[in-house]
Amino acid sequence: MTHPREHDLALLAGGEAGPVRRFLLGRHVRNCADCHRRISEYHEMRDHLAEIELPPDLAGANWNFLAAEMRANIRLGLEAGACVRTTQIPRRRNLRPAVAFACVLLLAGAAELLRDARPHRPATANSAPVLQSTVSGVELRDGPSSLTLLNHHGITVNQTVSARGDMEARYIDSDSGSVTINNVYLQ
Amino acid sequence: MSICSKIAFLTLALAASLAAQETALDASNSVKIDLPSDAPLNLISTTMGDSRATSRGGAIVLDLHMGLTLRNSGGRHIRGVTLLITAQEFAPGGKGSVARPSIDVPPGENFTLPVDIRLVRPVRETAGPLVRVQLDGVLFDDLSFYGPNKLNSQRALTFWEVEAQRDRAYFRHALQAKGQPGLQQEILASIARQSDRPQLDVSLSRNGRAVGSIVGSAVPGTDRMAQFAFLTLPDAPVEPLEGWAMISGNEARSPQIEVLNKSARPVRYVEVGWLVKDKQGHEYLAGSVPASESVMVLPAGQHARLRQDTALKFTRAGRPIEIDSMTAYVSQVEFADGKVWVPSRRDLDSSPLLRVTAPSPEEQRLADIYSKKGLAALVTELNRY
Repeated sequence: MTHPREHDLALLAGGEAGPVRRFLLGRHVRNCADCHRRISEYHEMRDHLAEIELPPDLAGANWNFLAAEMRANIRLGLEAGACVRTTQIPRRRNLRPAVAFACVLLLAGAAELLRDARPHRPATANSAPVLQSTVSGVELRDGPSSLTLLNHHGITVNQTVSARGDMEARYIDSDSGSVTINNVYLQ
Repeated sequence: MSICSKIAFLTLALAASLAAQETALDASNSVKIDLPSDAPLNLISTTMGDSRATSRGGAIVLDLHMGLTLRNSGGRHIRGVTLLITAQEFAPGGKGSVARPSIDVPPGENFTLPVDIRLVRPVRETAGPLVRVQLDGVLFDDLSFYGPNKLNSQRALTFWEVEAQRDRAYFRHALQAKGQPGLQQEILASIARQSDRPQLDVSLSRNGRAVGSIVGSAVPGTDRMAQFAFLTLPDAPVEPLEGWAMISGNEARSPQIEVLNKSARPVRYVEVGWLVKDKQGHEYLAGSVPASESVMVLPAGQHARLRQDTALKFTRAGRPIEIDSMTAYVSQVEFADGKVWVPSRRDLDSSPLLRVTAPSPEEQRLADIYSKKGLAALVTELNRY
């Protein structure tokens, strides 16, 4: 059997339980010897308290007036609290979240940099040998290796390319005045 | 240890580190030069100049600046030489050539050929020479040839020699017809064309899209098949009929051109010059589309298709050149008997080719003589042979 809670029994004993609650509690108490005994104890306690003589300053107290005054004080306190809450209170700025966020960003940035700096396989498009004209000459690049035929002394050149897969650079040799033609072949 | 001692120690350590990173190359060990025993050329000496090997991170960089002094040990004048350069250890399949056309070296005379190479490769132990230099061919004044001809040097040297004869005859005619002022006017016009000629930077790859090292060099674009327009040269023995290439932004791929041999002789090699025009109307020499096979036979009156499976990407001053249209013209023809055809000066003059295409090596050399030594030296040179 489930018994009612203690404060419900106290309210029932004091006649302060609601009608539905009083009906349900009353039915249980009529059938439960333990709860009936607790109700009897509460009745005896109330009778005992009634027989106690109050202090002189409370003997003639108007309890309803006191209750109303207490209620008014509580409301006043609540309103005062609301006023205080609307005031901007200067608070000390907490930098910890910002520092933590900056650390996370720094870590992510370092990870990205390290990832790019790490030697890795070039993309498929870049892994094929490529022949290209550069400032210094004609270069065949194949992954990390390259072969460049340099323009002697960096003299201006005429460069032409053949769709067969070779590239040519012509320049005048300043020493001999002759034309030299460098050709690099894409295999 | 005092502060001065520490600084001295660090300086010595740094110097030792630098010394370990950069070393001069030993010519006898780093380069192997092979000339056949029956070659009409003798190797007189080899200089290595400031050739160096440098270690950079995980790679070794070899800068070779060689000068090969060769002697004409045959009985005829030499008009051109090609050397084959291989560096198989560094760039797999990598090879190049250094050619010296438009020369006139009498028997017994020496000449020097510069060979400047940079090799970059990951550090690893290797045995044997770093670079191998071999003779690929020698062309004589009667257009006869000596050499293994692995790079088809005979054809290239012959074309350069025929162009040289054409241009020497042109400037000699200007001298005879209009005197030195007329020659001066022609050579100044040539120098102006050479300095004004727009040039493109090209990257080339096989079997797929070209790639470039220049950041932002690509132009996003959709693939489209573009047809060639043709410049018809009246004297050309071969006529282009139709052709196309796949274009995407500044990239052109897989050019194909159908040609007709309209001469009475069989042809064994054809090369078509390739011009591109950008959206602003500037025209550039993009390159050439040669015959697919190194040796082909195109009988008289027959068709053939020149086809190459490469991709070319064009930039100029680091900026992509978006291709708007393309033009082609027949630039070289070699007949089965070894005779060659190149466009005449009249053909070049009557088209935009003279302005857009590169001058012949001989015209480049004659202009350089005028620029450095003056008109009298140019006249002397034209009267030599």
